[in-house]
Amino acid sequence: MTQQTIAVGRDVRAEARQRAAELRESFTRRGILAVNLLSSPGAGKTTLLQATARHWQGRRRMAVLVGDLATDRDAQRLAPLAPTVQLTTGGACHLELPLVERGLERLGELDCEFLFIENIGNLVCPASHDLAEHLRVIVLSTTEGDDKPGKYPKAFRTSQILVINKTDLLPHVPFSIDAAVADALLIQPQLRSVAVSAHRGDAIGDWCALLEQAHSELILNGHVCHSNR
Amino acid sequence: MHELSLVRSLLAQVNRIRSDRAGLAVDGVHVEVGPLSGVEPELLVSAFEQLAGDFGMTGTQLVIDEVPLMANCPSCGTVTVEPVRIRCPICGDDGVTIVSGDEVRLQSVTIQCPEPEEQAL
Repeated sequence: MTQQTIAVGRDVRAEARQRAAELRESFTRRGILAVNLLSSPGAGKTTLLQATARHWQGRRRMAVLVGDLATDRDAQRLAPLAPTVQLTTGGACHLELPLVERGLERLGELDCEFLFIENIGNLVCPASHDLAEHLRVIVLSTTEGDDKPGKYPKAFRTSQILVINKTDLLPHVPFSIDAAVADALLIQPQLRSVAVSAHRGDAIGDWCALLEQAHSELILNGHVCHSNR
Repeated sequence: MHELSLVRSLLAQVNRIRSDRAGLAVDGVHVEVGPLSGVEPELLVSAFEQLAGDFGMTGTQLVIDEVPLMANCPSCGTVTVEPVRIRCPICGDDGVTIVSGDEVRLQSVTIQCPEPEEQAL
């Protein structure tokens, strides 16, 4: 018997990344911009998607894969507005690619320009999983504290758009949009940001314009500017 | 606790390496974890201990090296950067590209293999 040490030198997630890259490529070919939405629980991802669907109604087509630990409450909110499939993780703290693939099968023929993947509310684990998105969007709400970016560097480093939500609550909370954006830019200088109130509908047009611009870039160039994917 | 799914994938990869080499026991698994890997080394160890038995690796030692976040600066070359302040520590350029420290890298696997003559028998 001999002991052998075999050098490998490969990222453990390399295979999963390759599969994600292939799925992303198939979205690109079909003209679909895939967006992975990350946030803490309660930051307003579902409300943002509801507002987005209302803003685009009759003009732009979107579909949603919505992740949740146990219930289909988010899917019930979104289903009247856009084709929606619930992904239930059974307690897992993040979505992984196989779940997204199964969700896509249930969505059927994808007749949309925008595919949103609403991740589990959590700023740690989802940051480590490529779900074949072109854009990663991080939603930070004004009730959470403007020092959050530095506490979750991976989530902010790997995102391209920062949405600051619940601006309607700004008069009541000690949150500075400038401080939050400045902190996030230390980690990701390319990050673009937009401040909205999804609940009231404020600046939803600005947020949608960022997405529309990214979609146009995708159609024109086959990739999205400033995306590390 | 996404360390569990990561470790499951790690153990499956190690198992493939072992069977490719006709290896018997896996003595050690060496991984590198960086500050932007999204992985907590302590949780990686406990997930490994929990799952190793399912892959026939009870007693296999997991060695984790915590490596710094390294980036390439257009002017200064390879530099070490802080995860909460990603820019070149020398010239201050924030247009750096991360080269390592954002992964969980399987560096090597140490296995017990039959001697060539034993294999021939």
